[in-house]
Amino acid sequence: MAGSRLQKIGSVFSRTRNLLRIGVIEKPLWFDVYAAFPPLREPVSRVPRPRYGKVKDVIPPIFYQEDQVRARFYRIYGSGPRPFDLSQLNYKSTCQRFVEKFNELKEEGKIEEEKLFEETGKALLAEGIILQRRGTDRVAQEDHQDVGSRDSAIHLQLRTLLEEMQEGKKDQKEQTPERAETQKEDPLPS
Amino acid sequence: MAVPRLLRAGERVVPGPARPGSVPPHPCDPRVSLPAAAPRLYSSVSAPVPVPVPAPPSAVDDSLLSKPLSHPDFFNLKELFSLKDLFNARVHLGHKKGCRHRFMEPYIFGCRLDQDIIDLDQTMEHLQLALNFTAHIAYRKGIILFISRKRQFCHLIESTARECGEYAHTRYWQGGLLTNAHIQLGSGVRLPDLIIFLSTLSNIFEPHVAIQDAAKMNIPTVGVVDTNCNPCLITYPIPGNDDSPTAMELYCKLFKMTIIRAKEKRRQREIFDELRRKAEGK
Repeated sequence: MAGSRLQKIGSVFSRTRNLLRIGVIEKPLWFDVYAAFPPLREPVSRVPRPRYGKVKDVIPPIFYQEDQVRARFYRIYGSGPRPFDLSQLNYKSTCQRFVEKFNELKEEGKIEEEKLFEETGKALLAEGIILQRRGTDRVAQEDHQDVGSRDSAIHLQLRTLLEEMQEGKKDQKEQTPERAETQKEDPLPS
Repeated sequence: MAVPRLLRAGERVVPGPARPGSVPPHPCDPRVSLPAAAPRLYSSVSAPVPVPVPAPPSAVDDSLLSKPLSHPDFFNLKELFSLKDLFNARVHLGHKKGCRHRFMEPYIFGCRLDQDIIDLDQTMEHLQLALNFTAHIAYRKGIILFISRKRQFCHLIESTARECGEYAHTRYWQGGLLTNAHIQLGSGVRLPDLIIFLSTLSNIFEPHVAIQDAAKMNIPTVGVVDTNCNPCLITYPIPGNDDSPTAMELYCKLFKMTIIRAKEKRRQREIFDELRRKAEGK
């Protein structure tokens, strides 16, 4: 029985069809089925060549409008009080409830844009979900994809540390001239 | 001299009994064949033996095998799965952006926080084609082989294959199982007519050897390709997740139902034809 083992040339179907045409093979079981229902792409072997120059990412990133609210929520409150339970298909996390409340209040339109976030927190508190603040509330930035943005809590701690160190240095500088003065005064009377 | 005629089967060039007064031809005369070679060269001395012509496909076989091909969905497979089912089974979740294979880019919907999301609309079309092909192969009594090198699902796949009455190979793949079958497995072995890959990668995250071997032996393949797999050589790829247990259970369930449905249909058809033949015979 003849056969064609050249998997790098053509597809399984093209090779079998050509062998049938010559007449060295008898029709396999799957041939008619493939001919009646061909796949969307012919299974021809391709070699993955490396890309040169600047590589463009053709896959678009997926972002939603609610992601801005979600990012702010996670920045301020951390991950919510309740852990995620992914075994349920229709599980709604604390963040998701926050986002839905935010959208509801936004549609009502009675509250201003800046106050909306705090109002949502208060509304959820009224419903019974206690949210503990983990970070400082920075002013909502336009670009949430800012790479240089750091955790505001750490910034605060560093700033306070720096201020304390500076105050400490000032105290030392005040103390040393006083000591110098006292030392200068001492030898004078002697 | 007359142009030598084309000899038909059974004709002899060896001269008959010499007529009185004629000179017997010289043995080296080209019109005379060597008598020793005569019985070998020509098929027979008496009436020509009819060349065995392959039996023309009877009307019964034709309707049994070719009629299902005219329907777009003969086995009604689209009722077995929906987009919601695929989503709930987490078929759309791919690997991280860094693991992406270049040839999977057309099948990817987008990238959510660096994780690839597979386009389920395309998966639906591919799954429909793949299941349809599997069903037709099972209907024609083809041998189906399930292959996966994921140890987590090895037992699930083997039990699926056992329940459909087909075959599975979820262990280490020896080099020449398909390409050297007649020596390794004995002569007269029938190779599978379809190979279903529930995971196209081997344990070392490289394409499974059987994909290449099946292409060499002209065996069509159906395979679940994740975002880090190469879908080129697979005849009917199904872009989808191959790591989540829910997704693998869904695939196993779908393939099992397809194969059992196709075999049932074939059995019913054969019984029906036999009854009809008996009725006509009477």
